[in-house]
Amino acid sequence: MHGLRAAIEWQSRAVVGRHLRVYLKNWHTSFLPPVLEPITLLLAFGLGLGAYMSSGIEWHGRSVGYMNFVAPGMLAYATFMTAIFQSLFGAFIRMRYQRTWEGQLTTQIELRHVVWGEILWAALLTTTYVAIVGLVLSVCQAVGLLQLELAFLPVVIPIVFVAASAFAALGLCFTALVPTIDHMNLPIFLVVLPLGFVSATYFPLGHPVLAAISIANPLYHLAEGLRGLLLAGDGTGHLAGLAALLAVMLAVLVPLDMRLLRKRVLGD
Amino acid sequence: MSGMPPLLEAHGLVKRLGGRLVVDGVDLVCHGGQVLGLLGPNGAGKTTTLRMLYGFLSADAGVIRFEGADVSRQLSRFKRQLGVCTQEDTFDGDFTVRENLEIAASYFRPRPPAVGRRVDELLERFALATYAGDKPEALSGGFRRRLMIARALVHRPRMLFLDEPTTGLDPQARVAVWDLVNGLRADGLGIVLTTHYMDEAERLSDVLTVLAQGKVAAHGTPKSVLGDMLGEHVVVLPADGPSRPAVATWLDAHGLGEPLTVLGAWHLPLSGEQLADFAHAFPALRYEVRPPNLDDLFLKLALPCTA
Repeated sequence: MHGLRAAIEWQSRAVVGRHLRVYLKNWHTSFLPPVLEPITLLLAFGLGLGAYMSSGIEWHGRSVGYMNFVAPGMLAYATFMTAIFQSLFGAFIRMRYQRTWEGQLTTQIELRHVVWGEILWAALLTTTYVAIVGLVLSVCQAVGLLQLELAFLPVVIPIVFVAASAFAALGLCFTALVPTIDHMNLPIFLVVLPLGFVSATYFPLGHPVLAAISIANPLYHLAEGLRGLLLAGDGTGHLAGLAALLAVMLAVLVPLDMRLLRKRVLGD
Repeated sequence: MSGMPPLLEAHGLVKRLGGRLVVDGVDLVCHGGQVLGLLGPNGAGKTTTLRMLYGFLSADAGVIRFEGADVSRQLSRFKRQLGVCTQEDTFDGDFTVRENLEIAASYFRPRPPAVGRRVDELLERFALATYAGDKPEALSGGFRRRLMIARALVHRPRMLFLDEPTTGLDPQARVAVWDLVNGLRADGLGIVLTTHYMDEAERLSDVLTVLAQGKVAAHGTPKSVLGDMLGEHVVVLPADGPSRPAVATWLDAHGLGEPLTVLGAWHLPLSGEQLADFAHAFPALRYEVRPPNLDDLFLKLALPCTA
């Protein structure tokens, strides 16, 4: 409870404020990836790969153009990857090389605030990123490249924020465990990329084994939930599954992060 | 000083790290306007004690009081009164010198009043104004230390913790840091300082607490600590001279045990009475007599650990 309350304490906001200030200092480079990535992916997957699937993809009994299928998946994948990478590399660099955490911990900020600050920052950054991707998708729709239910785009924002918080909690767990930055390859290749592939973000999961595994994958429910919203105006089933998985992740991973990082950072 | 209540006091601090007892029942007291030097060889528990004092680590046992109040019940309020300069530079490399001070101020509540003016004042006082717009990595070692200390003061704390503040600095930069510390003491701050440099401890500290193997080995003014732990004089003589067996027998007979051996010389801490007795026992022996210093104390404490 003590740890949960820290999420709304001023110290966690001060940590987020610090990261935001750094981000805004570098705004001209910070805003490039969320603008360019969806354009690149839409071109590569949508126009490139999509050209081989002129009849579209079967999704929930109806045919959907590949670019329309990919666009919500792109939002989900961006949520997953941005949150994970920020809490893996960004947090690790601040913890290990920049010693930002150590400096913060000599003030009124305590470890639980550093942990929540990192999670909330990763979630805020991810949400901003996804919002920009959403704007790019809107532009694509305006020029006739996509046909999405854009009225549901604002609903995506809070969903992305909560999902990114849980993904960031997972990333921080690895940050606490990996001995050096070179060891980041282990969680990336053993956990992050497999979860990314078994998620129906860029292609449907036709194989029964993959489909079975994906049930426990929050990214799959996020992708299908957003797809439901943006293609059919309803993603309730998957979003309910997502909510349950995210609640479990946050309940388990945040206390685990605090315990592991207490040992790692404080040596206690 | 004795009439004033202590700013900071700790009683019976205990800390185990990785199953090892690192701090074992440490007591210490620091008043406002006083520099408390925390001394001891590597592994004596100085940094761990300091980290408990400024709330980075929690104590397994013992109590820390600030102006008489138990800090564990109001840790955040206590930490508002503290400034900490860690041994390693922990300034924020993403920000300039000025921004480092501003961002440090954002980590305290109640918010420090008039932050901009306070930052200007610190930049001026620590001779950092010229570098205000530079990144800290562009600063020399001495100026980086100044930034670390300035950052620890941005919220006007009443206690300052300095963990080996001059390690790695050239003599000129060390003296500059000493001047700053003296000025802060004159401002009424309570300062707890750890250092490996004995001259630094002797010049800066009003009171010393000497740690050895996690325990307080001595406490008091530098002079009284030296007197208690070493005696009034140190006799220095060649360790391999022909009188070695006789001197060793004399030391045994006086219960003084093994002498300190440094660069082929024996350093024998003796009281005035023991010195007179030694001179009487070895009238033909050539040796040097000098007052004890903190280096002797440090070696005395360190050698059993490094043996």
